[in-house]
Amino acid sequence: MSFDMALILDSIPKMLMGIGLTLQLLFLSAALGLALAIILLLMRISGRWYLAAPTMAYIYIFRGTPILVQIFIIYYGLPQLEFVRDSIFWPILREPFGCAILALTLNTAAYVSEILRGGVLGVDRGLKEAGAALGLRAPHRFIYITTPIAIRLALPAYSNDVISLMKSTALASTITLLDMTGIARTIVAETYAPYEIFISLMAIYLILTWMIQRSFGWVEKRMSRHVREEV
Amino acid sequence: MKRIRTILAAVLAVVAFGVVNVATAETLRVGMECTYAPFNFKNADGELMGYDVDVAKGVAGLIGADLEFVCQQWDGMIPALLANKFDLIIASMSITEKRMEKMDFSDTYRISVGRLVGRKDAGWELFDDAGNPIPENFAGLKVGLERATTYSDWFENELPEAEVVLYDSNEALYLDLVNGRTDMIMTNPMKAYLRFLSKEDGGGFEFVSPQIDEKKYFGIGVGIGLRKGNDELKARLNAAIKTLTDDGSLEKYALQYFPFAIH
Repeated sequence: MSFDMALILDSIPKMLMGIGLTLQLLFLSAALGLALAIILLLMRISGRWYLAAPTMAYIYIFRGTPILVQIFIIYYGLPQLEFVRDSIFWPILREPFGCAILALTLNTAAYVSEILRGGVLGVDRGLKEAGAALGLRAPHRFIYITTPIAIRLALPAYSNDVISLMKSTALASTITLLDMTGIARTIVAETYAPYEIFISLMAIYLILTWMIQRSFGWVEKRMSRHVREEV
Repeated sequence: MKRIRTILAAVLAVVAFGVVNVATAETLRVGMECTYAPFNFKNADGELMGYDVDVAKGVAGLIGADLEFVCQQWDGMIPALLANKFDLIIASMSITEKRMEKMDFSDTYRISVGRLVGRKDAGWELFDDAGNPIPENFAGLKVGLERATTYSDWFENELPEAEVVLYDSNEALYLDLVNGRTDMIMTNPMKAYLRFLSKEDGGGFEFVSPQIDEKKYFGIGVGIGLRKGNDELKARLNAAIKTLTDDGSLEKYALQYFPFAIH
């Protein structure tokens, strides 16, 4: 098989025109997803069944079904309902971008809230008891003792989730968005050269993954600098 | 040693038999979308039907080959042919110069045109009396098209004013038109009529353009696609299509789905 280098050089800039959209999808849904995940986490560990039970159901549904199906339900399914088209949310749901953000946010929030819960559960009981002995009340213990330690514990798993979210943004191409994958698919459909185009696309995604990994690596290092000082 | 030789002979015999078998009963693998009614689609019983399917069966009957249908999404159709996933494309694929660079086509077995569908009460003035588009009136309109079709080529070159939205399947075009995500779509008029306009969902919609058949984009029609370098097969396909045209079979196939012939 011949490998068309000229085509690769020609198509990479075209695909990079979609990187803005890919990053928008990533950052926006990561931020919204994290916010939602924190709310879900607080509900889950609140100790009140009427808050915890719906959260568990939500997490079970969104972690237990393929994100592609979730995207299709939001994009193609919701507008079938008359009241959705008449609602105030229609301007967002009308746009494929809004649907993609919604689907990615809802999906990542389910995963991230479980990651955060893992972090919270990992905090040593003794530390919290020590906090109680010092007279800190429960909310203070949570904010000043549990949270900082939980963040450090959850960070490695969270960085994995951001990477998998970045990869999930490629699914936005299935609902007409021209992110990098959407552009690549259009180029492939025009040039009939899937190997060259998709391999170049892979390279771009790998670079993005590497950058995310490095950033989180740096944050992790910085957040545990007190540990290194002790050594 | 003797045993090895016996095994070798057995293997050779099997291989030789296999080759002979292929030669006597040729099997042609045919790629199509299987969702492109009324040209190729599955009926309620899951059977493949449609004009393309009838043509495929007619041609196979004449050249004495067995058929094996392979369902393939449109945007991967030509790559799959080139990757030898199947031997022929009989999927209402228009013959264009761009496609001819990568593959071969038989003679045409159907004409190729496109037409716009939009909401009835939109009140657009998109075409002049001579049937030519008025570009400025397309400005800001969202047009749903299938990725990598002749329709998307035509729009991108002739009417860059319009905002093109690319879809992966024909069904999605109608869904988003009804949902109001696009203002109009461009597709095959026969199919738009049968699958959408004549149905309940399509009640509020109509054709908003004349038939558009610029040869530069839409080609001379629809042919059977095959990999380059299969001239012998191509000659046999052409002979079969000629027979089907002359003996009225193509017209007979068409009348099952349309009130008119389409070749």
